[in-house]
Amino acid sequence: MQEPAVQEEFVKLVQQHHAMLYKVCRLYCFSDHDRQDLFQEIIVQLWKSYPKFRGESKFSTWLYRIALNTAISDLRKQRRRITPLDPDHLPTQLQDMQYPKEQEEQLQQLYAAINQLTEVEKALVMLYLEDRSYDEMEEILGINQNNLRVKMNRIKEKLRKLTKETAYGIGQP
Amino acid sequence: MELDSLKYVWHTLEVQPQGDQSSEQQIIALLHKRSTGPVARMRRNLLAELILVLVTYTPAMLFYLFDFEGRLSGIAWLFGLLMVLFAGYYYRKNRLLKEMQCVGCQVRSNLQRQVGTLKKYIRFYTLAGTFMIPVMTIITYLIIRWKFPPSPGSALFYRISGTPWWQSPLSWLGLLVPATIGIYYINVWYVNKLYGRHIQKLQELLQEMEEE
Repeated sequence: MQEPAVQEEFVKLVQQHHAMLYKVCRLYCFSDHDRQDLFQEIIVQLWKSYPKFRGESKFSTWLYRIALNTAISDLRKQRRRITPLDPDHLPTQLQDMQYPKEQEEQLQQLYAAINQLTEVEKALVMLYLEDRSYDEMEEILGINQNNLRVKMNRIKEKLRKLTKETAYGIGQP
Repeated sequence: MELDSLKYVWHTLEVQPQGDQSSEQQIIALLHKRSTGPVARMRRNLLAELILVLVTYTPAMLFYLFDFEGRLSGIAWLFGLLMVLFAGYYYRKNRLLKEMQCVGCQVRSNLQRQVGTLKKYIRFYTLAGTFMIPVMTIITYLIIRWKFPPSPGSALFYRISGTPWWQSPLSWLGLLVPATIGIYYINVWYVNKLYGRHIQKLQELLQEMEEE
């Protein structure tokens, strides 16, 4: 059990990066229930690893590593058999979000395209969309930068094809 | 529109943290939950296996130690030896499971570590499961021979009437060898059923990360 001050500090850091964690869950899980389970698992792993965080890398880099490692390694795609949390006590950010209809459609189309990518490709796209530098991507994923650039180009091309006929019109002249 | 232009959608439409008071409590509540990841579940299963062995073997050991006026205490020590072997087995498996995951490491090195350790774990699981049976059978046989030696006239009797096959250690060895081979293949099948798909998926992910 860690000290209350450490816990408070940890909770604040998690709150600051809450949206990023939710994005990881959204990318790697299809159902709300699985997303909540993955979110819970990421928080548990972050908390367990927090004493080992020595600030050698940025907190966000460390956070991405743990979130992506947890999401990628935990290959269960089906509903997990764990005691669910009381819905009233779920983090509000994990409950259904309401966006304007047009924006919701755009978001769905974006996720629909990304969902057709592999786990590794999803991680790359996420980091790219999050404006992470190639240096940081290398630090998180452990793939060298040349390889990352090659992979990113391939993924962009793949996404263009996947979303060719969507409302985004990716790949259209 | 290029992927770059989707960044706008990604940043503007995605949920933003609200940071309300209740969410702090909700995150604190999550900190007290236990992990449901595959490694945590494997460790819990291993602990359950250890408890089951202790709960079932200890009474059996005590029974043979004190009953029959202590004449079968050799069997009690056999159970004791089994528990010691199982403790070693538990220690090794638990250590491998502890080493299996490094969530704070780079994704690629974590995958490499998982694949390597899982392979070691599977090898150990298969070999321990296979050799436990013949080793214990041989020890049991020796204890029975020691505790129940043949009666003085039996050698003469068998010389006249012929030794039945079950009296010959070679016959038992002849049965034990194919049985051990069979058990090895059953173990391989079972381990593959448990972890085969998982390790295959991890290897595919690693291969994807490593390919140029």
